[in-house]
Amino acid sequence: MNNLSIRSFTKFFLAPAIIAAFLSSCSDESTDGAVGTDTGPNTYTVAQADAGAEAFAANCATCHGNDLSGSPLGPMLAGADFMSRWGTQTAGALIANVKTNMPPGGNENLTDTDYQNIVAHILASNGMIKGATELTGSSNIIIAAYVTEQAPAPAQRRRSQFEAAGTSGLVIPGTVENFVPVTDAFLRDPDAADWPMIRRDYYAHSYSPLDQINTENVADLKLEWVWSMKSGSSEPAPLVYNGVIYLINPNNIIQALDAKSGELIWEHHSGPINQRNMRNIAIYNDKIIQATTDSRLVALDARTGEKVWETVVADASKGFSFSSGPIIADGKIIQGQGGCARYIPENCYLTAHDANTGARLWQFNPIAQVEDPGGDTWGGLDDIYRAGGETWITGSYDPDLNLTYWGTAQQKPWSTVSRHLTIEDVGLYTNSTVALDVETGEMKWHFQHVPAEALDIDEVFERVLVNRGDKKLVLSIGKHGILWKNDRVTGEFLGFKETVFQNVFTNIDPDTGLVTYRDDIINAQLDQWIPACPSSTGGKDWHSMTYHEPSGTIIAPLSQTCLENAAREVALEPGSGGMASSRRFFEMPGSDGNMGKLGAYNVDTLEEVWSFEQRASYHTGTVSTGGNLVFAGDLDRYFRAHDVTNGEVLWETRLGTSVQGHPIVFAVDGKQYIGVTAALGGSSPRTVPRVIAPEIKHPDNGNALYVFSLPN
Amino acid sequence: MRVITKLLSLLFISCLTLTIVSAQTTSFRARLSEVPVTPQTYKTITGVGEVFVTLNGSTASVTGTFEGMSSAASAVHIHNAPKAMNGPPIGALEATSLPAGSISGELELTAEQVEALRNEELYIVIHTENNPGGELRGWLFARD
Ligand code: HEC
Repeated sequence: MNNLSIRSFTKFFLAPAIIAAFLSSCSDESTDGAVGTDTGPNTYTVAQADAGAEAFAANCATCHGNDLSGSPLGPMLAGADFMSRWGTQTAGALIANVKTNMPPGGNENLTDTDYQNIVAHILASNGMIKGATELTGSSNIIIAAYVTEQAPAPAQRRRSQFEAAGTSGLVIPGTVENFVPVTDAFLRDPDAADWPMIRRDYYAHSYSPLDQINTENVADLKLEWVWSMKSGSSEPAPLVYNGVIYLINPNNIIQALDAKSGELIWEHHSGPINQRNMRNIAIYNDKIIQATTDSRLVALDARTGEKVWETVVADASKGFSFSSGPIIADGKIIQGQGGCARYIPENCYLTAHDANTGARLWQFNPIAQVEDPGGDTWGGLDDIYRAGGETWITGSYDPDLNLTYWGTAQQKPWSTVSRHLTIEDVGLYTNSTVALDVETGEMKWHFQHVPAEALDIDEVFERVLVNRGDKKLVLSIGKHGILWKNDRVTGEFLGFKETVFQNVFTNIDPDTGLVTYRDDIINAQLDQWIPACPSSTGGKDWHSMTYHEPSGTIIAPLSQTCLENAAREVALEPGSGGMASSRRFFEMPGSDGNMGKLGAYNVDTLEEVWSFEQRASYHTGTVSTGGNLVFAGDLDRYFRAHDVTNGEVLWETRLGTSVQGHPIVFAVDGKQYIGVTAALGGSSPRTVPRVIAPEIKHPDNGNALYVFSLPN
Repeated sequence: MRVITKLLSLLFISCLTLTIVSAQTTSFRARLSEVPVTPQTYKTITGVGEVFVTLNGSTASVTGTFEGMSSAASAVHIHNAPKAMNGPPIGALEATSLPAGSISGELELTAEQVEALRNEELYIVIHTENNPGGELRGWLFARD
């Protein structure tokens, strides 16, 4: 679909382009008579693209691939997906964006000319026709207008290979027998055998009551079956319902597998093929609800894998993308939005949709606009320059209060000075917990954990809902590694605990939770390196934490690294924006090189009950069980069971590559299983260990689902 | 009531600090690891090391080892800054001028520097031929 629209767009614009080329060749001839050289439209020159190819190989290829086809470390920069994101933009805007954001580590040695050359190379590889003059930063040609279809570049070949294998709907048909529709009542109180949503329940406990596998017998756990998954960036949260696993693969591919045997039932490709990651899908009634990486919602028949409906939520050509899927609350699909760093008029809505039709019911804008309450917290910036606030991690839900709880990401660009603001411009409602009425989308309360965030240390992760006596709590840990406790009826701050070393704040008020920044963070200038702990990998990141209700503890997968951040300059003009920081990373002082930490916290006192530290970072969420076990997997391919009361390792195994994703616990025919994915890809949580602990080696392929059980 | 609790806990904390200081920790250790790295630089900033400091009055005796650096050590300094921050050098040590080797030295610390050591505000930097700005680094912590 995207492809088609770009093609017609191309035709429409190509005519004037060719006329322009023709005119310019005429004028060339009349001035010095040099026929056949240096003629063509105002795009780029071959020499420039060649120089750019070299610079690209040296500075970009490690993540984006030599032929632009992408890798788990960075997306593909060629083909339909890239064109859908950049085709309607000017070449100048792409140059500015790349200069502002890439490479993520820093760009001290790259000149403006290098960037122009590199972008010339990218555009040439995407089939843009060569021209008479060099591409410059002020180029206002619309990219798609000069892209023809006959370009022979290697990326082009790869692109057609990918796309041929691509978006073809129900690729393998099949039928789930004896399917029973999923009701609201079921989602409220799932059968112990099932894991029917990300983190298993509405409260986001990542806890299974199953206790067949327990501290006594877990040492006997054996591999039952393995299923290899599609390659690409992957942080999956599989679902289990009624003996069937619904598995989200990279490239927007969903498979239904028999949970007992590992047999494939059906496979559906919704596209696009772009190496980007999607964490989770949802199940409701007789449908699988899928969010795609290009911001569509697709409903599949859970029985047959056939598409039932599809709706576009946001325009991927504006940079919008989904990396997490929805939660279904009271018959509504509640979906967060990612990719909101560009300066564009469109808003970054969290949306609610009718689960039967996809029709939009309401939308919530996490960014207060000039006219809104809280609109005066953005330093007087025009609405178009208020960016960020992504809701890129699936929220949780309290059916009794009919409120859904979401974390919002920080303002963009990452540093205050890059966004032309100060630390006083707190930017509501970013880096907050927001409690939204599921019926109307109205915000009941918000609590801004970290105002005016300045170092890419956001507070967006899952909100865990906990009941203690008559207290209704919401707990969360953001990248600062601070465990926050709030009343979830009112939002009132109830306490905090630092789970890893942090030096961003000199003080956190124990009564209000108000943070005080270090002076040099407040005063940071462009290109000035500011050290901070934790790093953008976070004390905690997307890997969700578990709440083990029987012991009243939260067990969180934590990470101990630090960064130095240098803000890059961002032009305050439409189409600009981005992340705009250079970063470099180092071990957290006092961690003794242990990046990985499992920390257990009593939810009443917030005291640390136990911790387990190791060199390798954790890359799965933690899950706990009625058998008093906690499971977690790491970069070094270990997947372990710990005793929930003291952290002691009771069982371990080693998988094909890094263990990454969200483990699942389920039962079929009365027998309990544990599932976990090995997976690759991701941003800071992968980049940082890769440069800090390069001695930890794992294969760079091997996405797979592993299922374990006790011998009969 | 709340204020009183706070005051009490403040008193309690200062007592604790006093006990720690009066216990006169004399033994410190630093793990040395790479200075900040990026995907572009991590292959040229490498290595690991360990440094021990024994404090006798105001005299700090330093020993240590390192290995796996990109090039030969050119200088070793003690710097003063809180954990993870960058600060000025306050003294120099001896080191084998090889990518792997040992560190030694004795330094007279001022009262302020002794205080900094106890507050985890001293760190060691190994500079190398390829990375004159520093290749390995680590803060000193009390050994328990
Ligand atoms: C360390 C890995 C890494 C390196 C090196 C790197 N990139 Fe990226 N790049 C990424 C990641 C990760 C993203 C995705 C960011 C996002 O989606 O928010 C990205 C995104 C992009 C995008 C936007 C893609 C889109 O579809 O919107 C462009 C363009 C880009 N990079 C170009 C470059 C260029 C040019 C270089 C070299 C000068 C470079 N990158 C170096 C990791 C890298």
